[in-house]
Amino acid sequence: MPTAAKAPPIPGLSESPSAIRVLGVGLDGALMHAIRPWAAELQAQIEFVTDLPQAVRRLAAGRWDVVLTVLGEHPDEDLHWWANALRGRTGAPRLIAFAHRPSMGLALRAEQLGTHDLLALPVRREELMRSLRRVGRGTSEIAVPLESTANEDLGRYALVGQSPAMLDVYKLIARVAPSTATVLIQGESGTGKEVVARAIHANGPKASGPFVALNCAAIPENLLESELFGHEKGAFSGAVARKIGRFELAKDGTLFLDEIADMTLPLQAKILRAVQEREIERVGGGDPIPIDVRLIAASNRELRDAIQQGRFREDLYYRLAVVIVRLPRLSERGADLALLAAYFARQFASQYGKHITGFSDRTLELLTAHRWVGNVRELRNAIEQAVIVADGGTILVEHLPDEIRGHEGSLAGTLSGELATLAEAEARHIARVLAHTGGQIGAAATILGIHRNTLTRKIREYGL
Amino acid sequence: MTAPKSSREGMASLRVERALRLLPDLEALTPLRALLVATSRADAGAQWASSGPYLTLGKRAVEPAQLRRQVDGVLEQITEHLSALYHAYIDALEALSVGDTAPAVAALLRAGRSEEGPGRWSQARVWYEVALKLADELQDRRPEIEILGALGRLARTQGHFQQGARYFQRCLALAEAEFDQSGVAEACAGLGSLAAAQGQWGGARSWYKRGLTAAQAARDLKRTGHLYHRLASVDHHEGDDVAALEHLQEARRSVESIQDAEGLARVLAAQGDVESEQGHADSAALSYREGLAWARRGSAPAVECAILIRLAEFHMKGDRFHEAEEELRRAEQTAIAHSLSRRLVQVYTLMGRLRGRQKDETGFVFFEQAIELCRVTERAPSAEGRLYREYGNFRSILGSPDEARAYLEKARAIFESLGETGELEGVEADLEKIGG
Repeated sequence: MPTAAKAPPIPGLSESPSAIRVLGVGLDGALMHAIRPWAAELQAQIEFVTDLPQAVRRLAAGRWDVVLTVLGEHPDEDLHWWANALRGRTGAPRLIAFAHRPSMGLALRAEQLGTHDLLALPVRREELMRSLRRVGRGTSEIAVPLESTANEDLGRYALVGQSPAMLDVYKLIARVAPSTATVLIQGESGTGKEVVARAIHANGPKASGPFVALNCAAIPENLLESELFGHEKGAFSGAVARKIGRFELAKDGTLFLDEIADMTLPLQAKILRAVQEREIERVGGGDPIPIDVRLIAASNRELRDAIQQGRFREDLYYRLAVVIVRLPRLSERGADLALLAAYFARQFASQYGKHITGFSDRTLELLTAHRWVGNVRELRNAIEQAVIVADGGTILVEHLPDEIRGHEGSLAGTLSGELATLAEAEARHIARVLAHTGGQIGAAATILGIHRNTLTRKIREYGL
Repeated sequence: MTAPKSSREGMASLRVERALRLLPDLEALTPLRALLVATSRADAGAQWASSGPYLTLGKRAVEPAQLRRQVDGVLEQITEHLSALYHAYIDALEALSVGDTAPAVAALLRAGRSEEGPGRWSQARVWYEVALKLADELQDRRPEIEILGALGRLARTQGHFQQGARYFQRCLALAEAEFDQSGVAEACAGLGSLAAAQGQWGGARSWYKRGLTAAQAARDLKRTGHLYHRLASVDHHEGDDVAALEHLQEARRSVESIQDAEGLARVLAAQGDVESEQGHADSAALSYREGLAWARRGSAPAVECAILIRLAEFHMKGDRFHEAEEELRRAEQTAIAHSLSRRLVQVYTLMGRLRGRQKDETGFVFFEQAIELCRVTERAPSAEGRLYREYGNFRSILGSPDEARAYLEKARAIFESLGETGELEGVEADLEKIGG
C-alpha cells in the first residue's frame, strides 16, 4: 500500500507559488480596464488579445493557466469550442467564461465540459478574484507511486480488483464457467460486462473455440438480423456477397450478445428460436444450419422493466437468464479505483512509450471524488488521456480531462499555495481512505496497512 | 412502474433511424428531416455504453417535444424561403410586363442563389436555367456570365463534369468578349477545378494561372486569394511543397487584406496539409487550429467541419487514433447541428477507415450510415465513390475479399462515369491488391 511520503520535486510542477498567467480573449475595453488591476492584486500576469485566431497563436506560444473570454450569441457552442481548443494545451489552461445571461442549462453544460467557472456579466470583482484564486497554480502535488496490481488479462481490459463486490463476481464466474449454461450479465455501462463474458468463455468448456462478440445497440436495426444469421448474396439491396453471421462464426465457441435490450421484438423471436432449436437460417437462404454455441448476453438496462413495458420477450429472458451475474458500479468498489487507475496507467504508458511511475496525491483525490457515470470505461479513458499528455513520470492534476478537473476547486486544500508537509499529505491520504470506507476505521486501517489503534490516534492527531 | 417513467423511457428509446423510417421521402418534408437530424442528441447513457464508440446519427435519440418546440421556427424559415422565391418570380413578371428584361433576369438569379445557399442544387439549377434563357435577350452580357459560372459550379458539385466544362467555356468566351476580368477568373477557376478532378494537373495549373492574371487585373482580391490557394493545391499534388507554401503565403496576403475569415481558414487548412506532408507536425497542428479559429470567427461551420476532418486525417496519418476520433466526433457534431450532410458522409467514411486501421470489424456501421445518408440527401457522386472505395478497403483489411471487391467495383463504376481519373487509378490499384 503506498503511503504519502515527502517526494522530490515533480518535474513540470511549480514548487513556489508563482504568478498565474491569464489570457483575456475578445474582452471589450471596459472589461479589460476593470480586470487589469484585479489581476495585478493577485500578482497574475495578464495579456489581452482581440480575437480567436490571435488567441490560438498565443496559446501555442507558451504556458497559460487561465483563459478569460466572453461567450457570444451561441454560448453553448462557444463553450464547446473552447473546451476543444484548450484540450491538450501546455499546462492545460482553465476557462473562465463570462456570459450575459447565464441560464441553468448553460451552467450545466459548463459543468459537463469542465469549464473552470461561468460568471455573469457585468463581472463582479470578488467573483472573478475568487475564481482566479481557485485555479490553484502553485498548489503542491506529491507523487504517490503506482499500486501493484494482480490481474487477469482479457484483451483490452482486465479483471482487476480486490473489493468484496468483485470477489463475489469472481466466485460466481468460477461456478458458472465450467458449464455451458447461458449467462445474462447485468450492470451499468462501463462496469466490464464483456470482460466477464470473456472470463467465462476462457474458463469454460468451449475455451478452445472462438469468442465472438456483437453489440446489438451499435448495429443499424435493418442490418442486425443479417449480422446475427448471415445472408446470401442478393438477399437485399446491400447484400453484395454472401455473409456468414455471428452465430455461425461462433461455432463451438461463445457468442456474446451485448446490449441485448436494444433488439426489436421480431428479432428477439428469431433469437429465441435459434436458442431453442439450435439452428438458424441465413437471410435469403432456405436451409437450416445447426449451431453449437454458448450464448452469453448482457444488458445495461434492467430487462425485467423492459418486459413490463412490452419491449422484451419474457420467454427469451428466461432462456437467457439461466445464471445472472450482476456487476457493481465503480463507486461500489472502494479501493479498486486506485488499483484500476494504476493498471491502466501502466497499460497506456507501455502503449504510448511513456514511463509513468505514479499519480500525484491531488490527482488521486480528484479521481476519488469524481462521479464515474461511465464506471471503469470512463476511468480508463481518463487515464489514457492523462498518460498521453503527461510529460513526466507522475500524472498531475493538469493532465486530467477537464470533466474531472472541474471538481478541483471544490476539494479542500486547493487554495494552499505551498508544498505540503509529510504530515499534511498523510492527513489528506487518511481522509481520502476514510471517505472510501464510509468512515469505517477497520477497513481504512486495512487499506492503509496500519493497525486500527494507530489509525485512531492519527485521526485524533489530525483532527479528522 | 409509474406512468411518467414509462413515458420518459419511451421517448429516450426513439432513435433517428426509426424516426426517419416514419418520414415519407417527400421533397416537401426535407426541412423537417433536417430539423429531425439537427435536434437529435446522443443519449446521456450512450457515451459510456459499449456501443458508444459506434454511435452514428441513426442511433441518436429523437425527442418529439423538442421537435414540436422548434418546428414553428422552421416553418417560418420555409415561409420566408418560399416568399423570397415567389416574390422573385413576381418581380421578374412585373419587370417583363414593362419590357425591362434586366431586372427580370436579376430576380431569377436571386431565386437561384436562395436555393443554392441551403444546398438545394437541383432546384437552383432550374432557376438558373430559366434565367439563362432570358438573359440571352439582354444587351449586357454580364448577367449571362454570372449565370453560366453558377451553372458550371453546380454541375461540378453534382459530378456532371462535362456539362460543367461546357458552362465554364461559354462563361469564359463571353467574359473575354466583354472584358469582364472577374468573369474570366471565375471561369478559369472552374475549368481548373474540373481539370484537377480529372487528374489533369498540368491543365489545372494553366487554368489557375490564367484565372489569377485576370483576377489581379480586376483587383478581385477574394478570387486572387482563391486562385493562389488552388495553385498551391496543384504544387502540393505534384510534390513541390516549397512552391505550395509560397502560393499559400500569397493567398493569405490577399484574403487577409479583405478580412475574409472564411478564406483565411481555408488557406490555413491547406497550409496545415502541406506542413503535415513535410513532417512538421507542430506547425501543421497550429495551422489547423488557427484555421479553426478563423472559421469560427467567420461563422463558417462548413469550413470548420472540413478542417476538423483534415485534422483527424492528420492524426490518423501519425497513428494518433484517439485524437483522430475526438476530432471526427467534433466534426460529426458540427455537421449534425448545421445539417451538413455531405460532410457527415465524409466524417462517417473516415470513422470507418479509422476502425479499419484498428482492425475493428464493427466499424462497418459507419460505412452503412454514410451509405444511408447518401441515399436520403442530394446526390454527390464523388463523395459516394470515395465512400465505396473506403468501404472496399475496410472489408479487404478485415479479410472479406468478396465484399471488398464488390464495393471497389461500385466505386470504379462511379469514378468511371465521372471521369475522375486520379480516383479511378487509385481504385484499380486497390482492386489489383486483392486480385480483382
